[in-house]
Amino acid sequence: MRKFLLLAFRNVFRNRRRTLMTLLVVSGGVAGLLLVGGFFSFMFAGLRENTIRNGLGHLQIYNALYFERDETRVLENGLDGSDKLTAILAGTPHVRGVAPRIEFYGMVSNGLKSSVYMATAVDPAKESGLGFATTLTEGRNLQDKSAGGNEALLGVGLARSLNVKPGDGLTLLAVTADGALNGIDVDVVGVVTTRVKEMDDRLLRITLPAAQRLLQSQRVTKLVVGLDSTDNTDRVYADMLPRLTGLGQPVTVKKWVELATYYHQVRLLFSGIFVFLGVIVFFMVVMSSANTLMMSMFERTREIGTMLAMGTPRSWLVGLFLLEAVLTGALAAVAGVATGSILGLLVNHAGIVLPPPPGNTAGLPLRVLHEPSLMLAAGLLVILTLALASLMPALRASRLRIVEALAHV
Amino acid sequence: MEHLVNVERVSKRYPLDHSFVTALDDASLRIRRGEFLAIAGPSGSGKSTLLNLIGCIDSPSAGRILIEGVDTTTLGPAQLADLRRLKLGFVFQTFNLIPVFTAWENVEYPLLLQRTPAGERRRRVAESLESVGLAERAGHRPDLLSGGERQRVAVARAIVQRPALVLADEPTANLDTRTATQLIDLMRELNRELGLTFLFSTHDQRLLDHTDRVVRLCDGKVVDDSTAKEESDAQVLAAGV
Repeated sequence: MRKFLLLAFRNVFRNRRRTLMTLLVVSGGVAGLLLVGGFFSFMFAGLRENTIRNGLGHLQIYNALYFERDETRVLENGLDGSDKLTAILAGTPHVRGVAPRIEFYGMVSNGLKSSVYMATAVDPAKESGLGFATTLTEGRNLQDKSAGGNEALLGVGLARSLNVKPGDGLTLLAVTADGALNGIDVDVVGVVTTRVKEMDDRLLRITLPAAQRLLQSQRVTKLVVGLDSTDNTDRVYADMLPRLTGLGQPVTVKKWVELATYYHQVRLLFSGIFVFLGVIVFFMVVMSSANTLMMSMFERTREIGTMLAMGTPRSWLVGLFLLEAVLTGALAAVAGVATGSILGLLVNHAGIVLPPPPGNTAGLPLRVLHEPSLMLAAGLLVILTLALASLMPALRASRLRIVEALAHV
Repeated sequence: MEHLVNVERVSKRYPLDHSFVTALDDASLRIRRGEFLAIAGPSGSGKSTLLNLIGCIDSPSAGRILIEGVDTTTLGPAQLADLRRLKLGFVFQTFNLIPVFTAWENVEYPLLLQRTPAGERRRRVAESLESVGLAERAGHRPDLLSGGERQRVAVARAIVQRPALVLADEPTANLDTRTATQLIDLMRELNRELGLTFLFSTHDQRLLDHTDRVVRLCDGKVVDDSTAKEESDAQVLAAGV
């Protein structure tokens, strides 16, 4: 077996220039896959953490009815006793904090002009404790409910539309939990951006007590749970479920992955692009290596005839060609992974920023993640592809007529 | 006495365009163990075809060939490969060494096919290379060897598993006179010392001068066989007595 491996290895380097060309093409494909895949992984990881940090949290607790029937009034399917639930949840291992939220919508007016808003009422201290940072473009963040009055943060687009800046006053109108119309005055303390224009045009954040006064309810829409690491989501989910039963109201727990629709859409789109690239690389490898392997087979026709004449089993010849292809693939995979990793480091070091994606206002940094699973998959892909490409020349070699092969010039 | 090789009324026809070419026509031949036998004849007389058929790398259109009593025409491809591996050694006109293997590894190859244990393999390869005078060149690849050295490596490879029969197709055709003579002497010596049976196809008179027996072919037919004639004469004499 050792000699057989040696023979295959030496055959790979018999025509060095041709092998080098094959290695360049195949390893280039691997490196390209790693760069694109690493960039996509960076985007996925960034998008995942951004999605979680921008307020989604790792887990969300709702009244079970929230997903079963539509609300006819605000907070109709909200959670009662959020403080008690928060205390229970905060005792679960790996939980960094719990933040209550109310989501509602209404009209906002500056006295001259009105606009629709989509509001989130938050507890500023708990939100910042969970690392749910808002990106301010002007002013300051909301303050703790005990210190703050009716403070509001506006999205960039909404602030521009209403022509307000920090320090200005606005009136918020909303339908209360009882169905009546209510209004409160708020002070604009800051302007924020989500980097998504459609969101920035409607976004409004106020403190939880202000929202409860406006909506005339002590309920909250949900509790958002932040964990010490995204990797602990499933574990905490399993720990949390038994703690939330028998509390007098049916609750349901949702993981971030169930709620992050945009994340899934992006991931699906880019995964599709990556698979398409993988298919291109697959065909590139097949076309270049099949030609090389076939040429190698033709050049060695007489040698193959000699080996067959000496009694070499035909299956050994198939194995020899497969082994040569696998060795070439392994070398290309190693070279490709090395090249891809080095290029990835260079790209990361260069600090390149891509133009903002559609709907976003900030540029996208071009960074490449070095994913061992991706390296392994790309390596296995080329090895398998080369093995497949070698099948035809291998079978042809094994089926040669000895007399004709020996007479080959 | 049972013959090592028994060629019985063998013919070989090749398709060519819309007709057939007869390369060997009803040829019969018997080879005894330890013979140093040449098949001679002009180009196209069927020498290589007969050698290929005896070497089990081609199959006859008619007739049968027995090696050590086994009818090779009844064997399948895998059994023929086994027979070639165990019973036959080949020396080719163009040496046909594996270029990426050293002289040692080329000689070792038939033993690898037979899965001979490493120790035994080392001993026999060293012995074979020694017997062809190439022990010093064992680590060289074929491209660093002269034509004569390459052919001697090919001979060492052919004899390393002590085959019942060594087939050599025009072994001296690509060698100069001095090297060819040395190779002929070497093979003759191996024939005498190891009792190996050699069968050549050649039209090299230098080689023919050293053989025990010459079988002459012309247009695919055996036209002269010195030993067969002697056997026949002996049978006539015996009948007369």
